[in-house]
Amino acid sequence: MSGPTNQSILVVGGGMSGMTAAIEAAEAGYEVYLVEKNPYLGGRVAQLNLYFPKLCPPYCGLEINFRRIKQNPKIRVFTMAQVESITGEEGNFEVTVLLRPRYVNEKCTCCGKCAEATTLEIDNPFNYGMDRVKAAYLPHDMAFPMRYVIDPVLVQSSEAQKVKESCPYDAIDLSMEPKTITLSVGSIVWATGWNPYDAKKLDTYGFGVYPDVITNVMMERMAANNGPTQGKIVRPSTGQPPKNVAFIQCAGSRDENHLPFCSSICCLASMKQATYVRDQLPDSKVYIFYIDIRATDRYEDFYSKIKQDEGIVFFKGKVAKIFPSETSDQLILRVENTMTEELMEMPFDLVVLATGMEPSTARDLLPIPVAYDDYQFLPALTVQPGIYAAGCVRSPLNVAESVQDGTSAAIRAIKSIVGRR
Amino acid sequence: MSVKVDPNFMKELESFGLKDASKCFHCGNCTAICPLSEGKTPFPRKLVKYTQLGLKDKILRSPEPWLCYYCGTCSEKCPRGADPGETMMVMRRYLTSKYDWTGFSKRFYTSERFEIIAIVVVGLLVGIALLIFNTGKPDWEHARINSLWPKEKIEIADLIMAAVLSFLLLSNAYRCIKFIMGDLLGKIPFRYYKEQFRELIVHFLTQKQFSKCEDKKQWLIHLLIMTGYSTAFLLVVVFIRLFQRDHIEYELLHPIRLLGYYSTAALLYGCTYALIGRLNKSKPPYKNSHSTDWMFLILLELTTLTGIFIHFTRLLDWPFATYALYVIHLMVAVPMLVLEVPFAKWAHLAYRPIVIFLMKVRENYLRDQASESVESGEVQERAAT
Repeated sequence: MSGPTNQSILVVGGGMSGMTAAIEAAEAGYEVYLVEKNPYLGGRVAQLNLYFPKLCPPYCGLEINFRRIKQNPKIRVFTMAQVESITGEEGNFEVTVLLRPRYVNEKCTCCGKCAEATTLEIDNPFNYGMDRVKAAYLPHDMAFPMRYVIDPVLVQSSEAQKVKESCPYDAIDLSMEPKTITLSVGSIVWATGWNPYDAKKLDTYGFGVYPDVITNVMMERMAANNGPTQGKIVRPSTGQPPKNVAFIQCAGSRDENHLPFCSSICCLASMKQATYVRDQLPDSKVYIFYIDIRATDRYEDFYSKIKQDEGIVFFKGKVAKIFPSETSDQLILRVENTMTEELMEMPFDLVVLATGMEPSTARDLLPIPVAYDDYQFLPALTVQPGIYAAGCVRSPLNVAESVQDGTSAAIRAIKSIVGRR
Repeated sequence: MSVKVDPNFMKELESFGLKDASKCFHCGNCTAICPLSEGKTPFPRKLVKYTQLGLKDKILRSPEPWLCYYCGTCSEKCPRGADPGETMMVMRRYLTSKYDWTGFSKRFYTSERFEIIAIVVVGLLVGIALLIFNTGKPDWEHARINSLWPKEKIEIADLIMAAVLSFLLLSNAYRCIKFIMGDLLGKIPFRYYKEQFRELIVHFLTQKQFSKCEDKKQWLIHLLIMTGYSTAFLLVVVFIRLFQRDHIEYELLHPIRLLGYYSTAALLYGCTYALIGRLNKSKPPYKNSHSTDWMFLILLELTTLTGIFIHFTRLLDWPFATYALYVIHLMVAVPMLVLEVPFAKWAHLAYRPIVIFLMKVRENYLRDQASESVESGEVQERAAT
């Protein structure tokens, strides 16, 4: 090996598993760089309303992690950052990271004057485009780092100067440019997570055509107090609460034409979301259309509890298609009850597609050639010597499993560089 | 009632072309996506289930295989690649072999060797018969088929063949009806059958069920082959006296001539399209081809082509070529009719409209029964109070 081994660790992805890996490694005494694509940390977990099975808000756990990061001088966080290239080998990697401009510096106090000063709006990515935000925005109420972002659309517009002048703290810097930095690290944790499977590809379900067909991640935002409807579950077409809600399991999962694997969390997620509906709308009826319910070990207790509710019906059969009713404003689901062999056409106010997890590597590959499995996941904890996979980029996992996976990757990243000084 | 289970059934069906049915995990997507599947007779998943469980008796009583036209949507959308459409096709092959009381059909479907030998033997017998039985006085000046094989004689052979085929097909069709209707067959009054008879004819002529499927092209191809074939069959078997003429006596727009051209064009287009589709596996119904599918299309295409050649050699007035092609034409056409009509693919021409007809009859009967029992129940209630 040429030269001394670098003793710092790069963690790519600031979601649950990446944050865990970074914190664990830093608290063990190692220098850590945490690189996150979004302007905030927390990843998909930050977008959840409640965790299953305890039905508690994820923010209490996230805030503990944010505090551990803030208190630990060994962690350096880069948001709006993406790894561009990796060279070198275990012990001595050179990594270039592209930092996109935020146009807001650390003087920001989140007073919101810049948002007031602009008329421009963009689709809100945090709420999956269900509402719009000002082009000068805080990514969400609890964002960490707590700092506004200015969209490039605004920077290039005629309002840019007005918005800059509106800031009483001189926190807006329109001259920021994208820049590339180079980091020298000894090992790397790759934890870039997952994307919800594109529901538009499920052509028989009409997502994007019928507004009342939404996905499970959208349901999380809708049920969240800081979401597009302030936590009210409504039909997007009318803004009224739905009388009945259908959850379609395996929407694109366990399907050779889409994602051939089981994402393992959607059954529990839909059961959890069924409680959102039932708690908020006691007169509502919820149907969960499933092929098999996969709620094993301690999650089976949750399943048993949900089944107690007479307002939640578990219906065995995969919905084949959705079409608008001719007599009402409802949507009709065509499905076979595979227990009774009856072919049904059932009307619903709101349909939630339980779409699965596509690994982020299905769209964005690592900058170096590595092996992927049949479904584009990284196939093992050790991607190659010195590079370790963690979280949903390796396998579909729930939050608790992602934390375990992050810890596991941290230990491997440490083992890779320890004693090589 | 006890349910008989045959654990080796899937194995047995392999020779009928079964491949992927074991992959099915019973999500029900196929049944719910099928445009023909209905409340009382949902398919195809039910048949996949029967297949996996080896429920032969239930399959024998199932009308569903004949209600499916194999548009292939179920296979295309199947999340498991279990190809339910092909399983339905296998069911039709299997049922055809079960309806056939001679046992010939089963051997035809399950052994490629038997299939080929049967075709060759029948073809050769036809060839030999034509060489032995003829007038011995061919007209070498002009192409006159009647000089060797007079249409009156051909007509007799035709009618004998038609009688044998009808007997076999109708007896098989009767078994089909018996299996599907069970005890109801004797119970339903005749008027229910009479009421629906018009529908039977309409279904036969238009295949209108098929037009409900998404892929309209398949319906068109099916309709072309079916009407082309039926027209040609009528011309050469029933109206041979009008059809087998030595001189082109009819003017171009004469109905007989037009019918001949229509059937030729329809068969040529339909068969060629299906053959190319099967070669390229262009859509789900063309993805899996059983040896009998190939045999059927090849014989039909060859019959059509040789028919066209004869037409030209006659127009060109080439006696030898005409007579030789006539022998070849019949050596292909007769095996196709004799083997395919009662025992193989052509049999579905009868089974499908009959089953659609029976389902309608049964539905109407059961509906009337239900409303009667409600009425009588009301009467009893009133009497009780």
